[in-house]
Amino acid sequence: MSATVATPRRSPPANQAPAPGDLRLLLSGNHAVSYGAMRARPEVVPIYPITPQTPIAEKISDLQLAGDFDVDLMTAESEHSAMSACITASLTGVRVFTATASQGLFLMHEMLHYASGARAPIVMVNVNRTIGSPWGFWPDQTDSLAQRDTGWIQYYTENGQESLDTVIQAFKVAEEVLLPAMVVHEAFYVSHALEPVTVPSQERVDAYLPRFDPPHKLDTEIGESWGNVVNQDMFYRHRKDLGAAMNQVLEASVRADADYKDAMGRGYGILEKYRTEDADMLIVAFGAMVGSARVAVDMLRAAGKAVGLLKIKLFRPFPVEAVRAAVAGVPRLVVMERNFSPGGGGVLHQELKAALYGMPDPPAVHGYLAGVGGVNVSPKKIVELAEKALTDEPVPDSVWQR
Amino acid sequence: MSEVTRRPATGPAAASPGEVPTIWTTGWTDIFNTGTWRAATPIHEWRSSPCHTDCPIGNTIPGWIANIREGAYQEAWLALVETNPFPAVTGRVCHHPCEGHCNREVIETVVGINGLEHFLGDRALEEGWALPAPVGSQGKRVAVVGGGPAGLSCAYHLRRLGYDVTVFEARDELGGLLRYGIPEYRLAAGVVDAEIARLLDLGIEVRLGAPVADAAELEALEAEYDAVFLGVGAQQAKMLAHLEDGAGAGRVLDGLEYLRRCTEGVARDLGERMTVIGGGSAAMDVARSARRLGHTVSVVALESRATMPAQPEEIEQALEEGVALFDGAMVAAVEAGADGGLMLNCVKVTLDLGAPAGELRPVPVEGGEFALAADVIVTAIGQDPDLAAFGDGLAVERALLLTEPTTLATSRAGVFAGGDVASVDRFVSEAIGAGRRAAYSIAEYLNHPDACIPERPKLEDSVNRTEVNPFYFETTERRERVVAPAAERLTGFDETISAYSTEDATAEAGRCMSCGFCVQCDNCFVFCPDMAVQKDASAAGAESAAPSASEGAPATAPPAGVRVTAAVPCVGAPPDSGPFYFVLDQYCKGCGLCVTECPRGAVRLEQVNL
Amino acid sequence: MHTYELDEQKVFNSGHNACPGCGEALAVRYVLNTMGPNTIGVIPPSCIAIISGPQPYSSMRIPVYQTTLEASAASAAGISRALKRQGKHDVNVLALAGDGGTYDIGFQALSGAAERNEDMVYVCLDNEGYMNTGAQKSSSTPYLAVTSSTPGGKPSDKKDIAEIMAAHRIPYVATATVGYPDDLARKVAKARDMKGMRFIVVLTPCLDGWGVADDGAVRVSRLAVDTGFFPLYEVEDGERYTINHGPKGIPVERYLEQQKRYRHLDEDQVKEIQAGVDHRWSLLQARVESMAGQARIR
Repeated sequence: MSATVATPRRSPPANQAPAPGDLRLLLSGNHAVSYGAMRARPEVVPIYPITPQTPIAEKISDLQLAGDFDVDLMTAESEHSAMSACITASLTGVRVFTATASQGLFLMHEMLHYASGARAPIVMVNVNRTIGSPWGFWPDQTDSLAQRDTGWIQYYTENGQESLDTVIQAFKVAEEVLLPAMVVHEAFYVSHALEPVTVPSQERVDAYLPRFDPPHKLDTEIGESWGNVVNQDMFYRHRKDLGAAMNQVLEASVRADADYKDAMGRGYGILEKYRTEDADMLIVAFGAMVGSARVAVDMLRAAGKAVGLLKIKLFRPFPVEAVRAAVAGVPRLVVMERNFSPGGGGVLHQELKAALYGMPDPPAVHGYLAGVGGVNVSPKKIVELAEKALTDEPVPDSVWQR
Repeated sequence: MSEVTRRPATGPAAASPGEVPTIWTTGWTDIFNTGTWRAATPIHEWRSSPCHTDCPIGNTIPGWIANIREGAYQEAWLALVETNPFPAVTGRVCHHPCEGHCNREVIETVVGINGLEHFLGDRALEEGWALPAPVGSQGKRVAVVGGGPAGLSCAYHLRRLGYDVTVFEARDELGGLLRYGIPEYRLAAGVVDAEIARLLDLGIEVRLGAPVADAAELEALEAEYDAVFLGVGAQQAKMLAHLEDGAGAGRVLDGLEYLRRCTEGVARDLGERMTVIGGGSAAMDVARSARRLGHTVSVVALESRATMPAQPEEIEQALEEGVALFDGAMVAAVEAGADGGLMLNCVKVTLDLGAPAGELRPVPVEGGEFALAADVIVTAIGQDPDLAAFGDGLAVERALLLTEPTTLATSRAGVFAGGDVASVDRFVSEAIGAGRRAAYSIAEYLNHPDACIPERPKLEDSVNRTEVNPFYFETTERRERVVAPAAERLTGFDETISAYSTEDATAEAGRCMSCGFCVQCDNCFVFCPDMAVQKDASAAGAESAAPSASEGAPATAPPAGVRVTAAVPCVGAPPDSGPFYFVLDQYCKGCGLCVTECPRGAVRLEQVNL
Repeated sequence: MHTYELDEQKVFNSGHNACPGCGEALAVRYVLNTMGPNTIGVIPPSCIAIISGPQPYSSMRIPVYQTTLEASAASAAGISRALKRQGKHDVNVLALAGDGGTYDIGFQALSGAAERNEDMVYVCLDNEGYMNTGAQKSSSTPYLAVTSSTPGGKPSDKKDIAEIMAAHRIPYVATATVGYPDDLARKVAKARDMKGMRFIVVLTPCLDGWGVADDGAVRVSRLAVDTGFFPLYEVEDGERYTINHGPKGIPVERYLEQQKRYRHLDEDQVKEIQAGVDHRWSLLQARVESMAGQARIR
């Protein structure tokens, strides 16, 4: 699995010339998602507006009106209905995309299980936003992390370019294993931040992403029905099959990313090691915090501190073996994350500890609840927290840090 | 990317060999045996309608009415003459017990069955339709004694069964009571002539003026013929001795004779004022005939008007024609009147309910005395058979030939009897029915290969009012035959009642609910939630319900479980409308919807014996 | 004599799991066999879902998707939209939901689909309660009817779903019942041959939930109409009303006495129900009259 971990890289510099046919645009993270969705050519997009997802829906509407995006945009009356329609449209045999955030994702929760149980390869972007109550609009990953048991593939991205590229890759993986996939980025830090983004040409995306042609579908010529009541044995086997499909995601994701990199020149891996050589400690992060952490690592290295960065991109399935390989020999890890599971702590912190359990000579793991509720965690703050982590004794629980 | 990973483990592909796929269906539920849930099974069967049950001739009435509805008049008539060779006669004079328990009453009122028979009878005469020819020859001879309705009916059925039949009639013309006992205004001689002639066309030998009046003559017949039917009627009028003495002497006539004289046009001048004694059809016939001949007529009947044996419409029309009715009364004595006529001393009576069946025991009402003036008295209180000359050779009970109720066999082997000679049910159709029964009985006696004696269905087994579904029938007014106005009626002996027009007949036939008689309405098929009731593909033709999309489904299983009950005549083909639906054992859950929604009680639920 | 002529195509199979004499199975038969094989169905949890068969078998010879209780209309919309994208404009989409999945929890999705005029035939098989879960009250349960959650009789009225749907001004709304199968089949065929959102609510007696004899589904259903309890009518574009079958002068007591769920009623309560029936019937007639001759304005 040589391609599992991406080599250190940055986004293409702003002055890099795009490949022939590609567009080079200044886009917010959300608009980048809209372009990515457009290139993936979904047939139906059932969607319901919620801040901070709305620019995705609005841009799709604009692109559709302009004639650039040939799609049926279904303005559902709720996220629940949007997801319900996504499932059936997908089972009817067409590619489906949608996007939501926070409470909307929660309203979908029931149907998220239904989607994975139906083996419907829907791709959805979730824009992380704090969950009520109280009411808030701030970046916080708890909404999507609370869906980790729904049977959806989850990718966490750190900027608009990655979101765009991951949407296209997610379709490839989802349709291969027949599981729905969620591409997650954070409110405002990613969703509304403008950056130059390369939109690959339609020809290149078409070459990368074949037509969706599921083996089973709701088709009067076939006549199969989906979802009739099962007995215990069938349910057991169905869940086992679902787990087997989820296990295929690791390999399929690596391959989809490698193929994408070959085609488009950009790849991300399912996780990324940044300046981890001879590290005394790795910062472990996902989502928008990764960008700041990369700067902080540079600062720490400049100050002579052997600190690197491990970015978790694929969160479901959790890439246990890849993570273990990435941290082997590193004495200490510090998780910095923007989410909180009351009674459990930071979700990545929990997942990481579970992944490392039983590993020979495991690293000590700090869990820092840094940035919950959208609190700004600057590179300088990350440096400060990393220095603290280098000296503090790790405790089992996640620790509030600001 | 490899194709292997492109088609992941899901649906049927996920199952190991022999394992059921966990999602996406692969087959249909029609492999399941939901019929095992059943505690009762619907049975399609022809059941006796009350009209059929009540018909003395055993007519399958709903069948031919269904034919009328469809405009198939000859077919209807042929179904009718399966049992009754005299529809034009009975259409006029039958006391129509068929209308007595007609289930149509749950909607509004009974169906005009008698009128429909009248319509068909006349249509057949107009069209000159022939009766069905005899089937084969049995090579045996049967003597029928008496050319009245019983004898001719018996002769007809015997002939159709393949026997050589000779009818012995004492008078110069056939017809008996039909010709001599019913006035022309009710039954024109031409109708009697035509229906008898048509019957004789089947090849029946007739000997007129050939009475078989005593034991010796009967023995001679027995020697010559393989069997004998006695249908000599009841020719001896009952008289009231206390009226014929004294002042009444010479002024009391019997009704039968009076009617015969009317028919023959030789009625005597008996004086202007007539009192008729009796409450039956004969009394009405006498009274109304007398009105036509200019008499002032009063009728004294023991029974109250409601219980008089005469038909209500006869009484009604008699009253319209100016007959004065004194019901619930009797003539106690006769005296000479001051004006040279008679003074009848009458008294109101009630009837003793404790009297034996068939016997009337009047109890005078105190203070109920009244007087009537009359010139002549006609008694119409019934007749007895004249059996004295037959001696001890034939058993007699209560003035009737003793017969076995099912076979109508007399005490002499090979001698059968029916009609007025053997029964107190003095109705034309009772006589025709007895003739029919006797014919089959004789056939059985003579070892006919197919004949069996018709069963008498019971009213309690017939489709009753709770078994018809009124929802399916719209309230529709009964059509009535046109009756001439009384003034017009009194001008002569022309028939007073006109047959239905075709339109009226069609409308009236449309009112028949066809109780117990499947008309393929499809309700049992339509209302089955399990699609367990199917149509017989062979009977239904190409449009039958064979499920096109249902590979392997048992769509057209043989029509098992269809039973035929007593409503179907035991001789001749069952009705054409017959077994058409069948129940798929595998699926029927026994809910009974098909039974309840059958408009006419033609489906029955039978408990499954577990 | 009235006979039924149904133009059925064999879609609904024997061997299904409905109770003997089930009114809903009868409705499913008429609906499916009228819609025909060129149809994709959506069914939420309900008796219909049970009737549709245990995996891997189906009682319906069409593709059927079993969705969640509140999502029927949205799920059907997803199929409908996907079919359009596939160029399959002639394939019918049929939602078959119970009253719980329509009047109650599925109402939002239904209203949304109606507002968007999604292309589907939505048939609500209305047995006036959550019969599949043991006869609990729904907002379709009529006033004073006993359910397992209203053991003393339901204190509130039945929701008038047909009028609510008509107020969405969708192309077609109709009421129907199994006791009038020709009327039901005609309405399904009419709906099938239209485009946009079509809604039919079919009163389907639940033998167990209502306390009706095994052979009584059709009789009771018919009495519902003939007593005026459930008039059969159609509304096109929210304003063109046609009454097909209304009360025939039969007192509502004849309907109530067929059902154990009304066994507790006293004389005054029966009168109260009768008054309600009379009132709603007069309102319906008034609506028909007031709408008559109105030009269609969209």
